[in-house]
Amino acid sequence: MASQSISVAPPKAFRGVGRSILLTVPMALWALLMFTPAFQKAGRDEHIGALVVIVFMTGLFFMMMRTGETYRWRRIFFVALGFLFPFGFIAALIAERGTMSIPISRMVSGDTPFCFMVTPSLILPAAFARTIIFPGSILPTASNPHSIAIMIGVWFAMTLVLGKAWCSYACFFGGIEEGFAALPKRRRLHRFVTKYGSTLRLIPWAILVFVVLVSAAIFEPVYCMWLCPFKAVTEFPAVRNVETAIQMGVFVALFVGLVVVLPYLTKKRTQCGFFCPFGAFQSLSNKINLFEIRFDRTKCVDCTLCQTSCPTVALSKDSIAEGKTLLNCMKCGACVDVCKKDAAVWHLKGTPVAVKPERARLLFLYGAWAMATMFGGSVLAGSVSTIIHWLPGM
Amino acid sequence: MAALSLSASAGEALVLGLATGPVCLATCGPVVVPWMMVQPRGLGLHSRQLLLFLAARLAGYMVFAAAVWMVGSTIPRAWVGRTWLMGGIQLLLAVGLVVYAVGWPHRRCTAARSTSRLVEIGETPRPMMSGALALGFLTGINLCPPFLVAGVRAAELEHLSAALLFFVCFFAGTAVWFLPFLSMGFVQRTPAVVTVARIVAVMLACWYGFSGVSILIERTVYG
Repeated sequence: MASQSISVAPPKAFRGVGRSILLTVPMALWALLMFTPAFQKAGRDEHIGALVVIVFMTGLFFMMMRTGETYRWRRIFFVALGFLFPFGFIAALIAERGTMSIPISRMVSGDTPFCFMVTPSLILPAAFARTIIFPGSILPTASNPHSIAIMIGVWFAMTLVLGKAWCSYACFFGGIEEGFAALPKRRRLHRFVTKYGSTLRLIPWAILVFVVLVSAAIFEPVYCMWLCPFKAVTEFPAVRNVETAIQMGVFVALFVGLVVVLPYLTKKRTQCGFFCPFGAFQSLSNKINLFEIRFDRTKCVDCTLCQTSCPTVALSKDSIAEGKTLLNCMKCGACVDVCKKDAAVWHLKGTPVAVKPERARLLFLYGAWAMATMFGGSVLAGSVSTIIHWLPGM
Repeated sequence: MAALSLSASAGEALVLGLATGPVCLATCGPVVVPWMMVQPRGLGLHSRQLLLFLAARLAGYMVFAAAVWMVGSTIPRAWVGRTWLMGGIQLLLAVGLVVYAVGWPHRRCTAARSTSRLVEIGETPRPMMSGALALGFLTGINLCPPFLVAGVRAAELEHLSAALLFFVCFFAGTAVWFLPFLSMGFVQRTPAVVTVARIVAVMLACWYGFSGVSILIERTVYG
């Protein structure tokens, strides 16, 4: 039972259709508000992209309200984001420069789009040497709207609302592995993950410390240069010598291993849970974020179904015994949805545990889904319009 | 006049050390942080460890100062053996990190442990003073950019004693920047913290090893 997919969870109590619609109306209005600018553009493809995303995001939120489940519907959005983001990104790169590789001239002129993954590496050089070790511009320019200030601002605002839930509602990389993790019916490396999970979940912290220290030592964003699995599906320094060829090999190996093969074998988000240093850094935000998952010990029967279902091994027997998750919980809702005894609950800090947990879930979801619609939704809309643009006969 | 010149160069070295200290902090950080994190908690112990580390680092400075003064400023700039030295030091740092932050591989075989030392949870760390000395000396002779600048300047001085004094003052300026490392004495040593520190040490050893081998290969290929 423990190795089964979490889709075997018992159905939660359904909410009435009228009440579900009523709860969805604010989110539908938010989605309309977000994508109104798209309708002011002349392009038909952008109109269709915006419309599809409004319906998609509103529909998923309605299903969350109707079924009382979070994980399944969030995963649909997240996987779509994960797979469509590289598609739209690569299409834009090909259209603009004809290649996925970053030309040296662009790096020298500080025109590289900023990725939030670099953020931890910037801290020490910025603090001690007042230097930003990334070949991007601080303020947006005509050729590079994804500037450092804009991206860090967006990330910071969303982090205040989401905490570590950034990793399951906003990060446009995690969806790829969540998609591969969802494919098999059974997990094959369950015993390995169970045995070594307590150590594996520490690796992102180690990589975070390593990346921060070495980036400060050599004044280069080490994660971008050597360790980012997603370089393989976004953009990467042009291969022009042995060093860049090794870098490219590392990117591809990490992507295939951590984002495709291991998630398929373990049904876990292995890159997020066992590798991503930004995820470890983001975990610190759970200390200040208002929302969390707690366990009602009076209902819990220690079946460990929640522990097995957690995609990033953010639960241990000790933490469940204490009624808490570990710091790296990304609030995906898998444990809450799978719990047959309703012991795992959404919780607003400062309130009693398991008292009106649905209210805490709603409060969290309004914020999280609003951010997901704004950030991920705009990525989805862009990618959908690109697909429509490329479809033959459209 | 000579005394005035000496005090001026000492002042220059101190200012140079203070100004370039953040670079020293960043260069030595990858060695100091994981090694200190696997030591037991306590400000007193960490103060002693850091003092030993700095003393060994000063010894490394003195060796380098004497060498550059005797051979001349070609060592930091164009000495043919520089790349061998740099590559060798990087490899020694890799070995030093494995030995002092993780432990010799054969220890875990003889100690009949159920799991790898690297992933061992709950082991009480032991203070290792020899690690402070070895790693301090190696970082002391590691040719980082501020160190090379100081080396060029010291080589131009008239007497060996002036070169040594220059490096003592340069060391004093940079040593101030190492004080923040003492804060690690306050960090709680949970099994998770020690395990993370050990994994970081292994990763850094790999990085130093890769860096050292790259330097040596480059030296062999391009001369």
